[in-house]
Amino acid sequence: MLARHAEDLFWAGRYIERAEDTARLLDVTYHGLLESPLLDAASAWRELLEQLYLDQAFAAKGLPITDSAVTEFLVLDPNNAGSIVRSVARARDNARNVRERISTELWEAINTLFLELHARDLRADLEREPYQLYRFVKSRCQIISGVSAETMSRDDGWRFLLLGRMLERAEMTCRLLSVRFRRSGRAAVPSDVHYWIAVLKSVSAFEAYLRAHRAQIEPQDVLEFLLLSREFPRSVLFALRASESELVRLGAGTIPSRPERLLGRLRADLEFMDIHEIVESGLLAALDALQHGILAVAEAVERHFFRAAAPPELHVFESV
Amino acid sequence: MRFEIDYTSEFKYLEPVWESQNLLRACPTTDAHQTLLHYELRTVPAARVHSYVDYWGTRVDAFGARAPHDRLSIHARSSVETRSTGPMAAAPAWKRLSDPAFIEAHLEYLAPSRHTAWNEALRAEAERRAAPAGADIVGAVLSLHRMVGSSLAYVPGSTTVGVDVNDVLRGRKGVCQDFAHLLIAMCRSLAIPARYVSGYLFSESSESEHEPQVESVKVKTHAWAEVAIPAAGWWGLDPTNRQETGPRHIKIGHGRDYDDVLPLRGVYLGGGDHKLDVCVSIRREASAQQQ
Amino acid sequence: MTSDLFTDYQRGDFFDEVFDAQGEIRPHYRPLVERLRALPSDELLRRARLRDTILRNLGITFAVYGEAQGIERTWPLDLIPRIIPADEWRHVERGLVQRVRALNCFLEDLYVGERAALREGVIPTWLVQSSAGFCREAYGIPVPRGAHCLVAGIDVVRDARGTYRVLEDNLRTPSGVSYVLENRATLTRVLPLAFAQHRVRPVNHYGASLLSALRNLAPPSASDPPRVVVLTPGIYNSAYFEHAFLARQMGIELVEGRDLVVDDHVVFMRTTRGLSRVDVIYRRVDDEFLDPAVFRCDSVLGVPGLLAAARAGNVSLANAIGNGVADDKAVYAYVPALVRFYLGEEPILPNVETYLLWEPDQRAAALSRLHELVVKPVDASGGYGIVIGPKATEEELAAVRKAIEAKPRNYIAQEVVALSRHPTLVDDAQRGGGRIEGRHIDLRPFVLTGEKIEVIPGGLTRVALRKDSLVVNSSQGGGSKDTWVLAADENGTAG
Repeated sequence: MLARHAEDLFWAGRYIERAEDTARLLDVTYHGLLESPLLDAASAWRELLEQLYLDQAFAAKGLPITDSAVTEFLVLDPNNAGSIVRSVARARDNARNVRERISTELWEAINTLFLELHARDLRADLEREPYQLYRFVKSRCQIISGVSAETMSRDDGWRFLLLGRMLERAEMTCRLLSVRFRRSGRAAVPSDVHYWIAVLKSVSAFEAYLRAHRAQIEPQDVLEFLLLSREFPRSVLFALRASESELVRLGAGTIPSRPERLLGRLRADLEFMDIHEIVESGLLAALDALQHGILAVAEAVERHFFRAAAPPELHVFESV
Repeated sequence: MRFEIDYTSEFKYLEPVWESQNLLRACPTTDAHQTLLHYELRTVPAARVHSYVDYWGTRVDAFGARAPHDRLSIHARSSVETRSTGPMAAAPAWKRLSDPAFIEAHLEYLAPSRHTAWNEALRAEAERRAAPAGADIVGAVLSLHRMVGSSLAYVPGSTTVGVDVNDVLRGRKGVCQDFAHLLIAMCRSLAIPARYVSGYLFSESSESEHEPQVESVKVKTHAWAEVAIPAAGWWGLDPTNRQETGPRHIKIGHGRDYDDVLPLRGVYLGGGDHKLDVCVSIRREASAQQQ
Repeated sequence: MTSDLFTDYQRGDFFDEVFDAQGEIRPHYRPLVERLRALPSDELLRRARLRDTILRNLGITFAVYGEAQGIERTWPLDLIPRIIPADEWRHVERGLVQRVRALNCFLEDLYVGERAALREGVIPTWLVQSSAGFCREAYGIPVPRGAHCLVAGIDVVRDARGTYRVLEDNLRTPSGVSYVLENRATLTRVLPLAFAQHRVRPVNHYGASLLSALRNLAPPSASDPPRVVVLTPGIYNSAYFEHAFLARQMGIELVEGRDLVVDDHVVFMRTTRGLSRVDVIYRRVDDEFLDPAVFRCDSVLGVPGLLAAARAGNVSLANAIGNGVADDKAVYAYVPALVRFYLGEEPILPNVETYLLWEPDQRAAALSRLHELVVKPVDASGGYGIVIGPKATEEELAAVRKAIEAKPRNYIAQEVVALSRHPTLVDDAQRGGGRIEGRHIDLRPFVLTGEKIEVIPGGLTRVALRKDSLVVNSSQGGGSKDTWVLAADENGTAG
């Protein structure tokens, strides 16, 4: 397929996932604060901003860290490249560019989310019932995923869409975990049950986890579940395995491509790790390595498949 | 006279260029005044050249370079035999210009073009300068030619191509393209067909008439004009050097103006800014007749 | 209760496609009119709503220049189809094939050949050289099989006597064929029974015919089958819908300039599996944007090096470059002469009577009765810049007079053609019921130059929806009708 179309689909997948995961993180942070009034709100929000690499962009606005300032920044700020409205707008731009390659239903699902976000008074939503808003974004993003799965042929276009979504998800889950531990210091795993419940809920993993572990909330089990579960679709390993199988199908079938090799190695390293080993040797370092690995894969995908898609600036010359 | 001409263009780009596509007009033509004996083109990085003859009869070399590169050099070598032509002997009357067949044959060279669009002031000036020649077209053209050559100062770098020809007349200075455009515009404003010529000029002042030169001479690409004289044909005039063209003028091609015979044009992707050095060196060789 | 939609129908002083001079229904329309008469008026309204739903769901919209970006309107399709009987169509078809053959010969002669038509004075050299559409950069570029006008849209009108005349030729990137196909798809769902009563020739093979014509254009070095792509300026182009539609119909890739690259004079498409060779480009990008290495443009709509690749014979472009000279409206006046010159035949379809304004006598004649004539700029399309004398204000007439006197080469004047009228459903939304009135129509058939020259039965019938208006362009309040060409037996009526 055209490299440009592949790139648009890849990024459409990433932006939709980013919008959804941002809503998840906001939801769990906001409601976590309500449930545990003793927590320091400012540091919780700071944590979230760091996690999204948006702490500096927020600081540049010169606003104090408050519930409303941070949630507005992350939901509706048109100048924030990582806000939900921006992610959705960019996903829609990407989808529009490949309008002819995606199903009408998928286009409509993305376009509808974009239009509805514009039609809503998001500031009022955040004040009155943020839960409804986050739920709305999450469910719409999931509808988009569902519609794409049900209406798109399993061709290369579909694979790039899925690849983008899965790589973004793996990275977001890593970020979620790494920021949680950054402040607690090396290997010190918080034991607060409410805390772990919030973490699980943020990735819709609470019920799945309970079924797998019979209501025992053990920090290491939670970590293991979110990093290494082969069954749960939002675990890092699951997302990497899904990415890998799409990459293999996108390959020529002979020599594995560079992104394929990078991802294979990364997935194998993770898959055969033991959670106790990880925690003992330094969880943060392990998560950092994982995140860097995912970034390297995404870059390799860009380079391998799309590099030629965006030619640089055109210069016209004449000489006497 | 026989000449060997080395044309070199050297691009240096600030950053690597992804791709470039180029059109080169550097090959001398063959006509009543000159014969092309040999032409070869080399580029680094090497490119496959597709050559063709354009609407105006000029050879164009089209080539691209697609592997990332930070410099591109174009080297065209040609050898040409030129001939002297006699002086302009005809002296047709003005009314010959309105002969429909003559007009039909020279339509392209009568209309204003991008670089030769004249205003009323320019036309009036042309009329005033041509008036003393009376009914003689050749005299009128010579008078315009002298006027352009003597009242314009040749100032290298004083203008860039694209300057309005009417501004050239007002500003009284320019480079060879401006001289040519002004003479062409003045002729056309009086319904005398005139065209723009791109070429090389061998200009060695101390050169002796009959001895071949060993040293080559560095020159620039040059431009002059040709004017259509009824019953006599095209007449080459080089207003920059205040002379009629002769065997030292080596013609590449002609067109309505500069745009039609651009020596080198094209595009490149990426690379940021570029620096372009064009270098032409000409060596005079023993002529065929003398061998 | 049934109310007859045609009871109050005013035939007017025009050629009416449905009613003859005596007010009788023409035979080929009888089954349709009877069917419509049998419908209760609210039924027609219901079907109009069904039509709108179908069109919206198909996403058939068009953008209008000059309006805020992204404004798209639903395509206006009238419920009442236009019917052309088989024998009439045979005449039109023969005339179109003849005309396009001559136009291809002319363009081949001009850009590749010996310019015989100029040498022999069939058309003035100066007229060609002064045409904005004459493209010197196209000189010498080979066009396989001389198929310069691979797709031609020839606008045909019927005058007060019902004579089919050519109004203008569209030879660059004529658009509208997607609407022909979508109109048909829509109407078969809205009026299935009416179809059942006529033997209507299908149009849905257009994609296959276009693809085969494009493949026929492939250069000798092409792969087998040749790789064909559609080149679009992008999603913001007003005809993007059609570009995407045609790519889908042909099952080929829709690309933008940046998706293509030229390497050693061969064109490639950038894919996720590397570069992939392209042999034929159905381009919907205008000439002057095709190749920034040749044309003075810094646009990225085109492909650097594309013209050299075409010149080297490694890729073919459809339509060929430089066709604008042949659809120049001043050159139009010479097309009948070109038909005689190249084919040695008499033109089957006449032109509309045209005044050449650079000829002093004709100019004087035209200027003296400007208020009765139509004035058109020679190089515009889409109805832009046209002044219709009888409807123009004094100021407009004075302005166009001045413009003609300044640049007579840039305009032509034509007799106003009293375009034929066709019963059309009007005001159906506002009044809560359908009313049928006569509206002026034209026809844009699409002609493909493949191995043979082929005309898609019918074409796009455009209708001036505003009462008494003669402007049928969709950008200026025009609508459309499905166009039924009847199969040849007993005038196409089945039982």
